[in-house]
Amino acid sequence: MNVPMSAVERSNVFYDLLAKFAPAGVPTWVLALTAAGVGVGILITFVSVLAMFSVWMERKVSGHIQCRYGPMYVGGWHGWAQSLADGIKLLSKEDLIPLGADRPLFMLAPAIVLASIFGALTAMPLTPSVYFADIDLGLFFILAMSSMTTIGVVMAGWASASKWSLYGAMREAAQVVAYEIPLGLALLVPLLVVGTLNLREASELQSGWYGMHWLVFQNPFVFPALLLFFTAALAETKRAPFDLPEAESELVAGFMTEYSGIRWSFFFMEEYAAMFLMSVVAAIFFLGGFESPVTHLAREQFGADSPIYQATAGFVLLLKAMFGIFLMMWLRWTLPRVRIDQVMTMGYKYLTPLALVCVLGAGVWEAIF
Amino acid sequence: MTATKDYLFNVWNSLTTTLVGMKITGKYLLQKPITVQYPDERLPIPDRYRGIHYLEQEKCIDCLACARACPIDCIEMDAVRHGKELEWISFTLDYQKCMFCELCVYPCPKDCIHMGTEFAFVSFDRSEFKHDLLSFKGMAKEARIRMKGAEERKKAREAAKAAGLPFEEEPEAEPEEHG
Repeated sequence: MNVPMSAVERSNVFYDLLAKFAPAGVPTWVLALTAAGVGVGILITFVSVLAMFSVWMERKVSGHIQCRYGPMYVGGWHGWAQSLADGIKLLSKEDLIPLGADRPLFMLAPAIVLASIFGALTAMPLTPSVYFADIDLGLFFILAMSSMTTIGVVMAGWASASKWSLYGAMREAAQVVAYEIPLGLALLVPLLVVGTLNLREASELQSGWYGMHWLVFQNPFVFPALLLFFTAALAETKRAPFDLPEAESELVAGFMTEYSGIRWSFFFMEEYAAMFLMSVVAAIFFLGGFESPVTHLAREQFGADSPIYQATAGFVLLLKAMFGIFLMMWLRWTLPRVRIDQVMTMGYKYLTPLALVCVLGAGVWEAIF
Repeated sequence: MTATKDYLFNVWNSLTTTLVGMKITGKYLLQKPITVQYPDERLPIPDRYRGIHYLEQEKCIDCLACARACPIDCIEMDAVRHGKELEWISFTLDYQKCMFCELCVYPCPKDCIHMGTEFAFVSFDRSEFKHDLLSFKGMAKEARIRMKGAEERKKAREAAKAAGLPFEEEPEAEPEEHG
């Protein structure tokens, strides 16, 4: 069976590795499927570890902001294993499905939520040459896939047959419809400057100036666009002060009210994965992606193909993304939750026009200079 | 015009106030937490704290003054007198009833019943709340160390007073072990 595998062969470091070590005569589709399996395994592990670390970090950050310690005992050093213990607890808990719930939809909803965010994460490069999928429309793909979580959330809210859940789901739908526009418009500003939707290429194009040729420094309208993007991303990932779909003080847990055990934790994992994804997008399209003075130095010293450079670049991106997550946590424990009408006002009356102004200004600036 | 002004002011205001808030929370984020990790570290308990009682059994004369003073009758004692010697049978205090009012301490003619500093008293069985004070169970090791320290300080203070010297209060020694 000879399938044209140009797309696969072009893309993937896992595929290349397998092709190098596999015995001769193994058909390409087997290699491609194995590579995909390895990629999925790595991605799932990565997201689980990331979610566990982020939950621990969130509890530490919130604790210290409130002059507490947060988890301190599990695992010894500052409760590092707390999330692990919680995960085991959630796995062993009973998986409750309410009697009045729409069973198939109820069970499908967390899967859709998680699958869409996994799909979006496949377009994320790990290092300049290690990535799951090198998509030319990477950013478009990410936005499309991450918006699909809304379908899962609305499905969860509707299938739960609970008023709280339905309210939460409707709020999520309204919020995402309102904030998808400024999110996309704010991302148009760096796109106007860099001229590619491919995440890897966008990062590559920002090298120069000793690794400080970041998009925020290239055009005066990119920085306000970053603020707009960050705000819209907060709403998009259902983080406080825009966590109206959950709104634990008014809606119990919003669309997650009727969920328990590991299904509930899927929603949680999605939230942290979405935060990470948005932070990565912000890092790549605003804050230089892999580029930093350290990355520049590593490339100068060891060459672009050396594993040291690759590891440095990946670490720099991870650091930038973690900083974004930290900022989101900091904001969460600073600002109180806003009302739904305030959310709508902010989305439609403030973020959208301001994003349009930024797009216009960036376009004019690019045309002149 | 004012509408435009208001609009721009709102944008500016939301930005700056967010930054002000983040500055405040950031300050707390960097500051040392005020939590006391309770079982591992404890705040010092004042000497006059009204915790679980302890009894100086050798001083006690079985006069029932404390039992009579108790507003809720939670003290019960029983002893047999052999001449000048007392044979103790029981001295129980029911902590299901006790409200830690310290009224049993004042009428004691021999100054032998005291309130300790131990307060953590948890049990799975109600009968265990009826405490036998004779065995000194009511007082944790920590409290005994404190009591000893307080007595020594008192003696030193009195000695200094008798000698007419100024007495300097030493800081209370931290107990090394917990009961």
